[in-house]
Amino acid sequence: MTREYEKKDPYKIIDEWGISESDYQVIDGRAIEEITLGANILATGGGGDPEIGLKWAKNVLDEDKDIVMVQPEVIPDEIQLACAATLGAPIVLTEKPPAKENTKKIFYEMERYLDRPIEATFPIECGGVNSPIGYAVGGELGLPVIDVDGMNRAFPELQMTTFATQGVPATPVVTIDDHHHCCVVDMGEKNKVAEDIVRNIAMKYGGISWIGCYPMTGKELKETGVLHSQSLAWNLGKTVMEARRKHDDPIESILEFLKSDRGIPGAHIFTGKVMDIDRDFGSETTHGFSMGRVTLEGIEEYEGQDAYLEFQNEWLVAKIDGEIKCLPPDMIALLDPETGEPIRTDLIRYGYRVKMIAMPAHKNMRTPEGIETFGPRYFGFDVDYTPVEKLLGIDKDE
Amino acid sequence: MSLQGKYRIGIDVGGTFTDGVLVLDDEVVAKTKDRTTSDVTTGTIDVIDHLLEKSGVKPESIGLITLSTTHTTNAIIERKGLDKVGIIRLALPTGSAIPPLTGWPEDLKEALGGKKNVAMIPGGYNYNGEPISELDEELVREKVRDMSDNVDTFAVTGVFSPVRSDQEIRVAEIIKEEVGEDVPITLSGEISTISLLERENSAILNASVISVMNRAIKAIKDAMESRDIEAELFIMQNDGSVIKADQATDYPIFTLASGPAASIRGAVFLTNIKNGALVDVGGTSTDIGYMVDGFPRESMMTVDIGGVKTNIRAPDLTSIPLGGGTIITTDGESAKKLGPESVALDLQQLAKSYGGPMTTVHDIGVAKGRLHEDLAIFSTPYATHPEKAKNIPKKIVDEAWNMIKERIEKTIDEMKTDPEDIPVILVGGGSTVVPKKFKGASKTYQPEHSEVAGALGATLAEIAAYAENVVDLENRDRQEAIDETIEMAKENVEKNGGDPEKAVVLDIQEVPFSYMPGKREKIRVKVKSEFKGIREGGD
Repeated sequence: MTREYEKKDPYKIIDEWGISESDYQVIDGRAIEEITLGANILATGGGGDPEIGLKWAKNVLDEDKDIVMVQPEVIPDEIQLACAATLGAPIVLTEKPPAKENTKKIFYEMERYLDRPIEATFPIECGGVNSPIGYAVGGELGLPVIDVDGMNRAFPELQMTTFATQGVPATPVVTIDDHHHCCVVDMGEKNKVAEDIVRNIAMKYGGISWIGCYPMTGKELKETGVLHSQSLAWNLGKTVMEARRKHDDPIESILEFLKSDRGIPGAHIFTGKVMDIDRDFGSETTHGFSMGRVTLEGIEEYEGQDAYLEFQNEWLVAKIDGEIKCLPPDMIALLDPETGEPIRTDLIRYGYRVKMIAMPAHKNMRTPEGIETFGPRYFGFDVDYTPVEKLLGIDKDE
Repeated sequence: MSLQGKYRIGIDVGGTFTDGVLVLDDEVVAKTKDRTTSDVTTGTIDVIDHLLEKSGVKPESIGLITLSTTHTTNAIIERKGLDKVGIIRLALPTGSAIPPLTGWPEDLKEALGGKKNVAMIPGGYNYNGEPISELDEELVREKVRDMSDNVDTFAVTGVFSPVRSDQEIRVAEIIKEEVGEDVPITLSGEISTISLLERENSAILNASVISVMNRAIKAIKDAMESRDIEAELFIMQNDGSVIKADQATDYPIFTLASGPAASIRGAVFLTNIKNGALVDVGGTSTDIGYMVDGFPRESMMTVDIGGVKTNIRAPDLTSIPLGGGTIITTDGESAKKLGPESVALDLQQLAKSYGGPMTTVHDIGVAKGRLHEDLAIFSTPYATHPEKAKNIPKKIVDEAWNMIKERIEKTIDEMKTDPEDIPVILVGGGSTVVPKKFKGASKTYQPEHSEVAGALGATLAEIAAYAENVVDLENRDRQEAIDETIEMAKENVEKNGGDPEKAVVLDIQEVPFSYMPGKREKIRVKVKSEFKGIREGGD
């Protein structure tokens, strides 16, 4: 590469912002593991295998590069941010791990296109490979990682973020391959068109591409992001790991943490055994997504009941005894009763014993634009969105 | 050489015991259990000697010896006697963010020479077979020369080599030109499938145990020679098939988890049932496996070996902490907890039915009358104080019995692919103390000689081979592509010591590449055949 990105120093950047020590945290190998576990619970069965991102982030730390996570409130309004992610076929990513210089190339081109320097980054989503990638990128470039994301869960398409539904476009998107071929897609507000084009570029690049997207200011990030979603994932991961060490019930621990620490009402809504999985095949029907339905037979206190789940990469709709209990963008997680490990839609099999929990989506996800972009009708379900608290009869605010 | 009228020996090395059987056709002539020795080899040779002594069979009447061994597993776990590996990855610019050996335990990394023998080279392919980069042959040559004094073997991994292997093969040629014809080289595309980092790990581990396997085979062959045994030596692989010893030294990684595979083959030997669940109950744990057409079902998960994630094929197996020695916690009135602790090797000091203080699964079996006679193969009685087991309160016995039953039922059920009832085969030293009736089982079998099932399974010398092909069905006839892959598999079965003319197709998998334009798919064929020697020469 002839044109070089100059690696920054995250401590120098936050020093220039003049923030205090209580406003940032140093991310180490264990933190990365905890964040990845917590993010995968929030990923609601999707996001894919985080392994490549986790290895990359740990390797960045092994090379003595610093990863620093900063609270969103304290970042200056006028700074420029952008995030980086991978987009394309998960199977290709397992065969083609990232090239080291990719993120530098992305940010170099983004800065050139915007004609201003980027001072911080953030993960686009919680869950899957893009969650730890957000931290690996921060470490490689020397940029602070902001405690925020665009959905507080995982979703499959570029436009499915609170940024986009609240007026911050996904583009310009910088999309590159390992040879640093580069396309910049600038579509204004047409986020869905941008998603289609960027996905096609990924195919031409050999199945995956590395993208920089959602360039925005500090002010825009604070107004449109899901704030503190990273520390939520981190604490959730810590909670589960601690429950494992103490042999506590991890599901109880998760719900207790959400409620007492974050004021998020979540509920354990079913315990069951997978009786049937009906997967859709053929790219004409699935458009490359993992789609299908799972039927569960109730066990323990749910004996005699049954549950039914629809999935498209993520768990989307849960019904118990024929009644709808959770709709997107509210969140469903299927967890191993003993370990609390989240079970992904691409891995679930007949015979698995799972506990199902439901949680409300962040308020920024529930705007009319949000429901239009990732509510039940967008995924083809002929039903209006009703918040999960109402469906379950639990109150969010007392 | 013919096996007609010849005896076969099967040997199964376990953690505690090395089992051996001597069979003629499907008759068990002699069986033995000897202590596994720390070098494994001595215990293996003991078994051969004891079988010959017990049966009085003459060494020249032995036609075949098959060994299911833990030499390679132990070497990796103990980090002992490993080869120094030259690690070559063909991928640049792809993959530089995660170099080879990322995430490996430090001591294992050191044992095989560490990071200094790693070379990342421009090369590799995309999914459609187009190169990522042209192979930099000069750089390969230079790096191989630099490493050659420090390494014993090489492992070569190229991006998408399971789709297109030309570059890996070319690198093997270069290594031979630079270092010599005899240097062992592992090509990742021959070891496992898509997922670069796990395939690379598999290839590196394979390359690290080549000498271990070579030494083991040489020692056993020497022992056979000194006893005038002229039999063929075969090695059990973890898919349940066997491979000629000389071929096994190229792919020692496939002996990992060959023990459970041998048990599944043994269950087939003993019951002739080819589809169902196998419940192998030991002293501290129970392995539950699944057989499909007489072979172990393959796991879809990554396999952890010595702290390293690999994607080698391995039997789909669930291990639960439940064995004869597993401790039942009681409050004097009812059974509270089943395991996971175990009295392990101290059953005869600690268990109630031997006069000890602890209530174990073994004692519950005795109290239930499930175990009432000594197993001839163990030199010890099943209980020295059966009355102490009988004195355990009935409530505790029944509750514990139910816990044991439910634990096994749950695991069997989790291994199933649909709710149909299936046959269950109980084997292993602890199988005589657990229940025989399970929910979800159409019938439970507990065949005679089941305590040496693994060794018996090893005597079923069936040879298998695989072939993989990636085709685009938009410009290729599907049936023609499948037929071509079958032919490739038959060529491979001959290399492994099997008869290509008797090859039977076991499995054809077609995996479409989703998220991809076109109709590209991967075809994978598995065939099996008989040992070629059986036909040659006739009677």
